[in-house]
Amino acid sequence: MSKPLLALDGVCTNYGKIRILRDVSLTVGEGEVVALLGLNGAGKTTTMRSILGLTPPLAGTVKYAGQNITGWPAYRVARLGVGYVPEGRRMFKDLSTLENLQLAENGRGGAWTIPRVFEHLPKLAELRSRKAGRLSGGEQEMLAIGRALVANPHLLLVDEPSQGLAPLIVEDVYRILGELKQTGVAILIVEQNALLALKIADRAYVLDSGRIVHSGAAAELAADRDRIRTLMGLDVAPTG
Amino acid sequence: MIEHIGPQLFNGLVLGAFYAIVALGLSLIMNLTGTINMAHGSFMTLAGYLAYTMVLRKVPFGWALILAPLIAVLVGIIVERTLVRPLYKREPFYSLLMTFGLSLMAEEAFRLIWGPNGVPFSPPPALAGAASLGFMQFPTFRIFIVVVLLIAIAALALFLTRTRFGLRLRAAVQDTEMIAALGTNTQVLYAVNFSLGIFLAGIAGVLAGGMLGLSPTSGNALLMPAFVTVIIGGMGSLFGSIVGGLLVGIAISMTTLFIPAASEVSMYVLMAIVLLVRPRGLFGEEGIFG
Repeated sequence: MSKPLLALDGVCTNYGKIRILRDVSLTVGEGEVVALLGLNGAGKTTTMRSILGLTPPLAGTVKYAGQNITGWPAYRVARLGVGYVPEGRRMFKDLSTLENLQLAENGRGGAWTIPRVFEHLPKLAELRSRKAGRLSGGEQEMLAIGRALVANPHLLLVDEPSQGLAPLIVEDVYRILGELKQTGVAILIVEQNALLALKIADRAYVLDSGRIVHSGAAAELAADRDRIRTLMGLDVAPTG
Repeated sequence: MIEHIGPQLFNGLVLGAFYAIVALGLSLIMNLTGTINMAHGSFMTLAGYLAYTMVLRKVPFGWALILAPLIAVLVGIIVERTLVRPLYKREPFYSLLMTFGLSLMAEEAFRLIWGPNGVPFSPPPALAGAASLGFMQFPTFRIFIVVVLLIAIAALALFLTRTRFGLRLRAAVQDTEMIAALGTNTQVLYAVNFSLGIFLAGIAGVLAGGMLGLSPTSGNALLMPAFVTVIIGGMGSLFGSIVGGLLVGIAISMTTLFIPAASEVSMYVLMAIVLLVRPRGLFGEEGIFG
């Protein structure tokens, strides 16, 4: 494995008095795509929030490029080059598509600019003046990804990108994530739809009740549907 | 009676512009952080007194109009960093009580420093007198007030819509967590936003001192109409604050002309009517405190 860009070690995180994450350790290497799987409530989103400093861990460490960033405020983590595509997209609904993208410009420089995002996601260019709140779910997901890209991240945290989207659009979203992988961006992707994420991931972790219960190569896990079924305690829907 | 309608309408607009600018400051602070700043009037009074003291010491009025609000902003930043900030994560009720307490303390402080009675703060000679608006004569200082307030409102609108910082502020009102995850230091946003609100209040405070008089309670006297303005305009809407302010100003000035005894109550009647028709105010949005 390449040297870890992101490393969580023994992370414990609470929401109020309720412990959500118990001793979570995981790594994401440079340019690697890692899937974090698990049922609803397993702690996947909390893991992302712990990395970003939105819900700071109570114990354990989060390291990014060798630097201890545990409990840093989100804006500092973001400025290091961590992009976030949140669950439910979280667009700034009253702002236009273009304004949503402009918000992510940070002067860090890099290959991704707004024109380049428009080039890659031409649909967004057409909708540049439309308010984000009036975009369809799929268009919003594209915008969420585009917004994260404009910041030129080294690591992209993608939370449930398939949620609430039609199958064709999900395919599109994953095609774009696959293209990103080719450009060398490391991606930590959280998904309930395990098989979908395993298709583009190099490695996978499975979370259950806040603990990592499995880690290994993505292809291996994808091939063993019984294993997924046992680990995630649910039927795995076949995907197209 | 009829010949008084024109001047009185203009008076209403001047008054309304005051309410609008105070309400804009209140709305800015409330929209971003959910803080109901009961001490807003105290910052107006503070700026008024500071300008009064400067003018006494021969500082030109124009300079005092800029410097006094800036000093009020400095005080505002200290208050925001030390007293308001720790309450951001709590319910709005906490900051409401805290700022209310602060306004009471400020009032007493003004009494100690500048005395319990009003002080004479008249407009500079260049702005005294009256100017002809063609169809009527009108006090020059009031025309000056309207111009300054309109410039301030236009500058705020440009700042919010044309600058990167303004864009971030508008985004943060919708989702502060996400704006942080995009690399913006929200604590700086909060401080600048609070300062903007106080600066607007400060300008209004200096101008109001010259028009409506200056006493330890003069700022607070404008605060209640400003809250009514925010409610009429609709919480969450800056445009609503402008429209609401003008409506309240005109309502008060017209009732002063026709039914003087009812001038105080007219804004509440207006508020009741607006809320009956539109429970969220004219341009209000949902879930400001969500």
